[in-house]
Amino acid sequence: MPEEGKRLKLEKTFENALQELEGIVKELESGNVELDTAIEKYTEAMKLVKFCNEKLNDATAKVNKILTEDNELKEFKTEEQD
Amino acid sequence: MNNEKYLKICELNNYIKSILDQDLFLNKVYLKGEISNFKNHTRGHLYFTLKDETSRLNAVMFLNNASKLTFEPEDGMNVLVEGRISAYPSQGSYQIYVDKMEPDGLGALYIEFEKLKKKLATEGLFNKEYKKEIPKYPNRIGVITASTGAAVKDIMSTIKRRYPLCEAILFPTLVQGRDAAPNIVKQIKRADSFGVDTIIVGRGGGSIEDLWAFNEEIVARAIFDCKTPIISAVGHEIDWTISDFVADLRAPTPTGAAEMAVPTVLDTLSMIDNYKIRLNRFVKNMVNTKFITLRNLKNSFVLKSPMSMYEIKEQKLDRLVDNITKDIKNILIAKDNEYKRLQMSYILQNPLNLIFDKKVKYDLLINTLKHVNPLGILEKGYSLVSKDNELLKDSREVKKEDEIKIKLYKGEIKAIVKETNYEQI
Repeated sequence: MPEEGKRLKLEKTFENALQELEGIVKELESGNVELDTAIEKYTEAMKLVKFCNEKLNDATAKVNKILTEDNELKEFKTEEQD
Repeated sequence: MNNEKYLKICELNNYIKSILDQDLFLNKVYLKGEISNFKNHTRGHLYFTLKDETSRLNAVMFLNNASKLTFEPEDGMNVLVEGRISAYPSQGSYQIYVDKMEPDGLGALYIEFEKLKKKLATEGLFNKEYKKEIPKYPNRIGVITASTGAAVKDIMSTIKRRYPLCEAILFPTLVQGRDAAPNIVKQIKRADSFGVDTIIVGRGGGSIEDLWAFNEEIVARAIFDCKTPIISAVGHEIDWTISDFVADLRAPTPTGAAEMAVPTVLDTLSMIDNYKIRLNRFVKNMVNTKFITLRNLKNSFVLKSPMSMYEIKEQKLDRLVDNITKDIKNILIAKDNEYKRLQMSYILQNPLNLIFDKKVKYDLLINTLKHVNPLGILEKGYSLVSKDNELLKDSREVKKEDEIKIKLYKGEIKAIVKETNYEQI
C-alpha cells in the first residue's frame, strides 16, 4: 500500500510540526535564548504555524474503515449514510 | 367449512385470563427473584422481568404501588415481591402484577462484580501509575464495538465531524452474549498490534446483563495488557463496568469517548493562533528589552563622560607610585640593618681566632698521622722480613737456604735462611 504509507507520513508531519511549534514557543518563553537564535526560531515557528493551518484547513474527511476477519481494510458506512 | 368451533385469539386469551383470575392461589403469590430489563415508564409504572437461574417472568408495578417503594429498584437486584398472577390478553402472556416489593440482599451479578472489582483493585490494575496518556492529535483510532447500532455511528461520526484528519478503523465485535468477552479480547489484541494511536472500546446502553461482557475478567486483563491507550465507553453515564476502572480513560458515553479521543479542528486552529500570538508578543518583548538595555548603556555615566574614566585611573596610578616608593625604601632599610648586624659579629671582630683554631686542629692531625705511619715503627728498631716481595709473618713460610730480604729503618739486608723454628709466641 504505497499510497497509504505516503499519506501516513504526511499525517505524521502535521503532528510533528505541531509538537515542534509547541516546543519552540515554550523554549522562547523560557527566556534562555540569544537574540539571533530567537529570531531564527521565530521565523521557523511562523513557517510551522502556516504549515499547520494549511494542513487543518485543507484536510478532507477521512473515510471510515473496517478491518474484516480476513484482515482486509474496507470502507465502513454506518446505516445512516447508506 | 363450519367456522363455529374456531375461537378468536382474544376469546381464548380472555378465557385463560378468567381462569387465572379465579384461581385463589394465583391471586396472592410471594416470589423471590432478580430484577432485569428494568424500565421506569414516564407515566410512573414500572416494567421489569423477574428471573432466577432458569426462568423468567414479566412483571408490572403500577404507579399507585410503585410510589410506596422505599428503594430504587435496578437491574441485578434481588427482590421479594407480593402480587397476583394474571394474563395480558393482547400479548397472550401472563405476568405478575406487583403490589409490594422489597430488596432481598444483593444481586448475584452485583456480588460477582464487587468481588472481581476488589480482586483487580488489590492487584493494582486500576492504579493511576498504569494509566497511559491519550494522544492529543491521533492519526488513527481503533474502534472496538458492534458494527451496527447507535454506538458505532456515534463514535465514527463524532470523530469525522470534530477532526477529519484522523482515520477511524472499526474492529467489529459482539458486545453481548456468551461469546462477547472473548471476541472483545481478540479485537483489543488485533487493534493493539495493528498500530493505532488510541483505542475506543465500548457499546451503547443496556441492562446489566447486556453490559456484562465488560465486567468479565478476561476483558479487564486484555485492556490492562494493551500497549495502546484505551478509552472505555460502556453504556450510559451511570453505568460503571470493570472495564471502565481498568481503561486509561473512562468516557460517559460512546460519543463522549470520541470527543475525548480527538480535538476539534477549530480548537486546534485556535491553539495554533494562540501560539502565533505568543510568538509575536515574545519577539516584540525581546526587541523592546534589548532596546531598553541599549539605551541604558548609552546613557551610562562612563559613556557620557569618558574623561572620568581617566581621572580614576590617574588617581590609581599615583597611589601605586606612592606605594612602590615606600616599599623600596623599606627594603633598603632592612638590608642596611642586616649588613650592620653582620659587621658587628664576633668572628669579623676577631679574625685571628679563626686562624688559631685551624692551627691547633692541624697539629693534632699531623701527630695522629705519625702514629699510624708503618715506617714510623722501623725508626724504633723494628724491621720487615720478606720473601719474593711478600712480607713474612710465619717461620713456616721459608725453608733452609731460602733467600730473604730484611728492610730496616735505613737500608736493606739480603740474607740466607740457616734454620727455621716454629714456635707460637
